[in-house]
Amino acid sequence: MWAQYFEQFINGLVQGGIYALIAVGYTMVYGIIQLINFAHGEIYMFGAYFGLILITVFHIPFWIALPLAMLLCALLGMLIDYVAYRPLRTAPRLSALITAIGISIALQNLARMFWTAEPQVYPTDSLPSIFVSGLNDMGEVINVIPLPGGGTLPYRDVFILLIAVALMIILNLLIYYTRIGKAMRACAQNAVAANLMGINANRVILATFAVGSALGAVAGVMVGLSENVTPTMGYYKGVAAFAAAVLGGIGSVTGAIVGGLLIGLAEAFGADFHSGYRIAFAYIIMILVILIRPTGLFGKATSKRA
Amino acid sequence: MRMWFVGVLILGLITFSGCQPSDKTADNATDNTTDDTQEAQQELKIAVAAPLTGGSAAFGEMIRKGAELKQKEINEAGGINGRMLTIVFKDDAGKESEATLVAEGIANDKKILAVVGHFNSRCTLSGQEIYDRAGIVEFSPGSTNITVCELSKWTFRNLYHDGFQGKFIAQYIDDVLTEIETVAVFFHNDDYGRGLRDAFVAEAEKIGLMIVASEAYEEDTTNFKAQLTSIKAKKPDAIFISGLYAQAGLIVKQAREAGVTSQFYGADGIDNEVFLTTAGSRAAEGTYITTPFVFGEDDPKAKEMAANFVEHHNVPPDTWAALTYDAVGMIAEALEKTYNPEAELAENRKAIREHLAAIDTPEEGYMGVTGLTYFDHNGDTVNKPAYVKVVKDGKFVPAEKQLLDKK
Amino acid sequence: MKDKLTPRNIILCIAICSLPWFLIGIDEISSLLDQYRINFGWPGAGYILRIIVRACLYMLLAIGLNVVCGFTGLLDLGYVAFYLIGGYTAGILMSLLDVHYLIALPLAVVHATAWGLVRGIPTLRLTGDYFAIVTFGFAELFFRIVKNETWLTGGVPNGQLRGVPAPTIPFTSISFDLNWHHYYHIIILLALVVFVTYRLQNSRVGRAWVAIREDEQAAESMGINVGRYKSLAFAVSAAIGGIGGAFLAQFQVSFSAQFFEFWESIFILCMVVLGGMGSIRGAMLGAAILGSLGEILRVALSKYPEIAGSRMLLFGLILVLLMRFRPAGLMYKKT
Repeated sequence: MWAQYFEQFINGLVQGGIYALIAVGYTMVYGIIQLINFAHGEIYMFGAYFGLILITVFHIPFWIALPLAMLLCALLGMLIDYVAYRPLRTAPRLSALITAIGISIALQNLARMFWTAEPQVYPTDSLPSIFVSGLNDMGEVINVIPLPGGGTLPYRDVFILLIAVALMIILNLLIYYTRIGKAMRACAQNAVAANLMGINANRVILATFAVGSALGAVAGVMVGLSENVTPTMGYYKGVAAFAAAVLGGIGSVTGAIVGGLLIGLAEAFGADFHSGYRIAFAYIIMILVILIRPTGLFGKATSKRA
Repeated sequence: MRMWFVGVLILGLITFSGCQPSDKTADNATDNTTDDTQEAQQELKIAVAAPLTGGSAAFGEMIRKGAELKQKEINEAGGINGRMLTIVFKDDAGKESEATLVAEGIANDKKILAVVGHFNSRCTLSGQEIYDRAGIVEFSPGSTNITVCELSKWTFRNLYHDGFQGKFIAQYIDDVLTEIETVAVFFHNDDYGRGLRDAFVAEAEKIGLMIVASEAYEEDTTNFKAQLTSIKAKKPDAIFISGLYAQAGLIVKQAREAGVTSQFYGADGIDNEVFLTTAGSRAAEGTYITTPFVFGEDDPKAKEMAANFVEHHNVPPDTWAALTYDAVGMIAEALEKTYNPEAELAENRKAIREHLAAIDTPEEGYMGVTGLTYFDHNGDTVNKPAYVKVVKDGKFVPAEKQLLDKK
Repeated sequence: MKDKLTPRNIILCIAICSLPWFLIGIDEISSLLDQYRINFGWPGAGYILRIIVRACLYMLLAIGLNVVCGFTGLLDLGYVAFYLIGGYTAGILMSLLDVHYLIALPLAVVHATAWGLVRGIPTLRLTGDYFAIVTFGFAELFFRIVKNETWLTGGVPNGQLRGVPAPTIPFTSISFDLNWHHYYHIIILLALVVFVTYRLQNSRVGRAWVAIREDEQAAESMGINVGRYKSLAFAVSAAIGGIGGAFLAQFQVSFSAQFFEFWESIFILCMVVLGGMGSIRGAMLGAAILGSLGEILRVALSKYPEIAGSRMLLFGLILVLLMRFRPAGLMYKKT
């Protein structure tokens, strides 16, 4: 019994790591321009496809493909901001939200036209062999850490957790110890004042989109390793990550990480309890947290107007 | 004032976008006929409604290919009584709201004589009411929900339903895979997956197969570890996946990774090559699936169709392509026998239904590549057996032992 | 839509009332011309009427959402919950319990309103995006419940209801199941909803809502009972959603949980924002555009099969462009 719970705990942590990586993208953008960037789930999806294309079509080794996918996604995120959101900075907040939804629909269908609706998988023979868990010819499960009670933890999932933790540390260093991080914090606090102090707010926002999208790309490639890649893959994890960002207090990076892990754990234990309501448990936790702490776990009060 | 203008504009757009002097009024019309008026008058038009986009697009694609092949063969053989067969493809995206609009569009088209479709049971049910009112045959080559044909006398299908399939799977596991005593069900939480699960569980309880777990997953789930962990804790001998290929592939892959050693068994929703590529051939090895049809080596008709299919589309046909191929063939046969150029549209549509409804004994049945098709009083095909395939060396092959006599 | 009976409004009324006959007339002309082998490719009155009815249903829902989003200024991402409650209440009553539509409709509305109030209690003190995500969570819970609790829908999976009977005129066997029936049916419901919301908007209640939207604290200090007025907005909005759901149940005949996905809430929200927040006409206009755009593109692109698959791509781009050039909505009036 406890072995099963322990395994679910591990399942939840790995999922939570992915959610955290995506949630950071939501929360960073929100912190600066108070926009729920609905297209972020699609950026994550494009990240997965970029990785796939780089590996299968251009035959680039995985370790180079991953940073390249991050770079491409960062460019995509910046392009979206430049083309779609920047003209709407002074417009009512909801118009930017609808624009984000429009971009999300467009990107999803663009992906469907490029790569068809068929699920695709990362080819196992061009990945580092350490990430290819599963049966070998002898019928043994390879590349996994055995857990007590007969469960397994693939090396790949360990890597997902490690890279999530590493990126979060780097991100915190970036935000608190670099010039651009300082500028981001200044813009988040008061964009007009920051502008007056000589910070180019538009450039800071672009940088924010770039960082958030790059993290989304990492999540996309990581998910691509264990699951499949489809044009609609951004929806489920995107919504869950958004819930994670709000649960942690939208605008707070620490909140996004904690929220991501909480949602992941709630989902895993929820599935164990009643699988039909799997993700619903995550939402129940989220609702309860918000009702008790109306600004999320680590959040500050947000603007009142919708 | 602006609102008036936009309102009129919208109305105008709806109205006039349809009103252009062209014969192609619908999605992806594949007209093989020329614009010559004489020839255009001679065409006979039917619709194929399928999920060409959306979650079950892979099925829709094979349905389209199957229908195109039959159309080509009919037209190359001189058409139906000298008239060319035209097929209009309509995309319902596997969604009910789209399916009703598609149905309304078809029912209102003054040229379309019959419909082959829809694929998803929920879409067939949604369109049903409209086809029923308009009096047009809805011939599904893929809906396996139990009640689909009971509700309307205009609905037919040329394959078994889930009540039969679920029962069959339980019996096959009990009779053939005798070492299996405990089964866990992992089902897609929608009408197909859940309906099939219910039928399976009912029969399993009857024949003494132990169901140790029953877990659900959603269409957009891609990580099944949590459910697999709780299934694994129950140590089932077999896991029955009641769902579609995309998710099933991932389930098998992730289960093998998590050290699940149970036998996998799937239903016809898994019968697609994508299942194998997603799961990886090693993980999928030994998975049993049930399907309405297999391309057997000793069936010359199926062999010939498969060869033509490969020649025309460069991919091997699957079950759904074959069933659609036969469905189009049956409609074409009905048109050949009943179509009267002098008669009204409604009469011609009705004649097709009368013709199909009269095929109610094996003697009158239609012999297609998927076997003999004839209907009971609901429009269900009751005689067709279920076949069992197994994954061997990364390919679906017919299982050694079939249970064809089970009805 | 002024209150007065101007000639323009009378013409509008006549046009709305005679629309089905106009379309059926074109149907006749088209079949007449067909005999002379002239083909206009007219898609048929039934098809167009159905698109219009669907657009009208969206208008109704958009007006309902507009009460919370536009009037009170709270972002509601879970409006579809009330649509769902209305749909299932009416659907279950009519198909499983054989209740007449005229009884099922008010019951559905009452049920939806009750849930609107229940949801309102804990969310009263939430603001901005926290309110949004909690409403989303609520809607998602309802969606999961109808999906999983099959005993609710008579044992049929996926919350599928089948064979919802068409409404009949009491004590007769005349049933309302043709497309033009649906058309008049939805027009009557829509007129009712427009009338009620229009009167509310221009009353003390409406002004109180605007005050809350503009500045909640100021409104409170002016003696407006914020909690009460917000609850009222939730109730009205939920009731309209319930009407929409009940209509859907008998219009669709067979429907499943698929109709009430999260995407539907977003879709309705797009209509409201596109038309211009807080404007009834705007909500209707937005719904008319977005509710029919998908089908317009389907018909328009059918001549170009090679790009027919890009229908939804264009849909997304049109949404982006409309927001780019009319950021405050199509019908925005500065107040």
